[in-house]
Amino acid sequence: MAAAPRPGSEGADPAAPLPAHIAGTPGRRRKPPERMPVYALVGNPNCGKTTLFNALTGLRQKVGNYPGVTVEKKVGETYSQHGHAMKVIDLPGAYSLAARSPDEAVTRDVLLGRRADTPQPDRIICVVDACNLERCLYFVHQILDLGRPVIVVLNMMDLTARAGLEVRPAELEEAFGVPVIPCAAVQGRGLVELRLAMSRHELPLARHSWTVPAPIAPAVAELQASLVAADGRPPLIARAEALLLLTDQDSVRVAGSTPLSAATGAVLENWRRRWTGQGTDWSGTLIKARYEVIHGLCREVIRRTGERGPSLADRADALLVNSGWGWLAFAAVMAVMFYAIFALAEYPMNLIDGLMADLADRVKDAMAPGDLRDLVTSGIIGGAGGVVIFLPQILILFLFVGLLESTGYMARAAALMDRPMSRVGLHGKSFIPLLGSYACAIPGIMATRTIENAKDRLVTILVAPLMSCSARLPVYLLMIATLLPGDAVPASTKAGLMFLMYALGTAGAFGFAWLFKRTLLRGEAPLMILELPAYQRPHFGEILRQMLERGWLFLKNAGTIILAISIVLWFLSTYPKHPDPAASPEVQIAHSFAGQTGRTLEPLIQPLGFDWRIGIGLVTSFAAREVFVSSMGVIFGVEGAEDDTAPLRDALRAAQWPDGAPLFTPLVCLALMVYYVFAMQCMSTVAVVKRETNSWRWPLFQLAYLTGTAWVVTFLVYQGGRLLGF
Amino acid sequence: MSASPFPLTPLCQLPAGETGRILRLTGDEGFCQRIREMGCGEAALVTKLSGTTMSLCRVRGMRLALNHRAAMSILVEHLPLAPR
Repeated sequence: MAAAPRPGSEGADPAAPLPAHIAGTPGRRRKPPERMPVYALVGNPNCGKTTLFNALTGLRQKVGNYPGVTVEKKVGETYSQHGHAMKVIDLPGAYSLAARSPDEAVTRDVLLGRRADTPQPDRIICVVDACNLERCLYFVHQILDLGRPVIVVLNMMDLTARAGLEVRPAELEEAFGVPVIPCAAVQGRGLVELRLAMSRHELPLARHSWTVPAPIAPAVAELQASLVAADGRPPLIARAEALLLLTDQDSVRVAGSTPLSAATGAVLENWRRRWTGQGTDWSGTLIKARYEVIHGLCREVIRRTGERGPSLADRADALLVNSGWGWLAFAAVMAVMFYAIFALAEYPMNLIDGLMADLADRVKDAMAPGDLRDLVTSGIIGGAGGVVIFLPQILILFLFVGLLESTGYMARAAALMDRPMSRVGLHGKSFIPLLGSYACAIPGIMATRTIENAKDRLVTILVAPLMSCSARLPVYLLMIATLLPGDAVPASTKAGLMFLMYALGTAGAFGFAWLFKRTLLRGEAPLMILELPAYQRPHFGEILRQMLERGWLFLKNAGTIILAISIVLWFLSTYPKHPDPAASPEVQIAHSFAGQTGRTLEPLIQPLGFDWRIGIGLVTSFAAREVFVSSMGVIFGVEGAEDDTAPLRDALRAAQWPDGAPLFTPLVCLALMVYYVFAMQCMSTVAVVKRETNSWRWPLFQLAYLTGTAWVVTFLVYQGGRLLGF
Repeated sequence: MSASPFPLTPLCQLPAGETGRILRLTGDEGFCQRIREMGCGEAALVTKLSGTTMSLCRVRGMRLALNHRAAMSILVEHLPLAPR
């Protein structure tokens, strides 16, 4: 057996009384470092890490992305007891340094100093859930191997009594030799003590030690030596990295990671081959060895004070996940959420719409008529309005996502939905983003961040726009009104047709998810293992912060791109000018680039039953689907088409092909609705998918496959209908 | 590990309210490693709370939900008495 080096033995006497993290070390005061110290905040998912980050940094946060990956980078600033600024990086939640997802890979790479874009943290704050200490300490154990100064925060101490546990921080502190701070971040308890520990000029290094199992030890030593010599790693980091590399499952590599040298790669390959030949279970052996140490430690640190029979939470879980009541509760929660996103959001959306219209009117009054005024009112204000109007739906969706996560219900909903979702190869967690996409694909796509598996997340993003969003409603309503005019047709028939469109989109989403999981993003139906966090009261402050953060990100990132595209679309529908300055708007738009595009598109869309005027609508509604209605209003010379569809409906019913045949036959109306069910007529979604996938490859693929599918299905509907005599 | 005196049962078939000891993991290596890292490795005690399609259980103080495929990959020996 090879004993691991004891990090604590470097520069500190392990036998000395430990720690003095509040009092400091008399006589050893040094000048504070001139550079701002960098703290990394790490921990398992659901351990309250982000709550602690928010409590420490308040509003002094910057949210961005790690270059090349979709993982969010959150950096904040806090102050020591002496008023010195300290940087805190909130790293993504991870169960282990052996990464299994891009999020965990970023955490691992930052801690190991592998990322050029992020400095290696000077100190590490490990947040652990005091109610789940044994499991959380596995990650802490790996981090202590890094030999960096560590502070352990025992969060959720307020919940231990309810869980029938008595956790003794002093015992843990004694065992690890690093400061251990009991804390309840939600209530703000323990923050002063944490800040005091963070303010110390020196922190003791961990004095924990464990014995690497004998079959693995020579490989660790050889790999460590190679990492020091060939990759320039410090010895302790090299040892920790050697342990990770040997587990073989630490295979997730993300953009920005420094690759290993060829020499180290060869050593690694050699050992893997040898073990595979011998049938050594080195991965399981390493994990077991760590857990044996942790299990022994937990016996000292934790005392059970209550019975271990089924708790109230256990009974609630049995009801919410494994019974018919669970489906009823789920349906009720979803109905409320759906209602809020659809109905309640309408009021602020109308308000924003009115404000934007008022602003445009004021600009019209203040500026002389001309192209510049049109650019400001139609291009800039119209484009910005088209973005801001989605904000209430986004905020409401994230309010619900926050409530469900904060109370602990989200994990139960994902567990419940796993069965139907797994039939098409998706994870239970894909359900919430898809549901949100009925309101708007943008918040739905943003909500996919809760899905750990990169392929599952991408499949969910790719199919989310197929769920009929609220922007399709005006198109459906106009087409149904044109197809079934007047009161003679019962409302239930119209509602049934509308429901058919929603069902078609949903079936399409599930069908394509099934297809992608078997072809492009091949992967087995996920083996789902989901931790069910404790039930808690919602933390409204946290939820509000998350809503504002998401809302601001949406406005900042999608808004800039959407605004630019809006201006381009305005240009296309305004230029070139008709030679006659008095030409009507419909003549002008027919003469514009958009009109010309419509005519160019006509041969392509004629097999679908569409003429060039519908083609213009398809082009302009790429800004937002509902623009189709206002475009039809302009083309057919009907004012205020958005407010009252009756005159436009009549104009559409009167529209004809050059040979006098009616243009908007019932079959064409149906075909147009089917086209909008499948087509990716939304530049906002393209922009957001680009942001979420960090490349143009996936949004362009999505645009192509959805538009292609829309054309094919519409063709089949129209031509099939004609063959049947419609 | 010494042979178990009790027959091995997939976790999904462990009756609700009963406790078992994990003896073998049969999923792919990545899955096995992750559940070991989450504390559900060989020798860990697992108490089934409810369910067969979606197994809810408690391991090392944490509550976990496992779908049928995941629960089928975890073989346990059924212990006659819950540990206190």
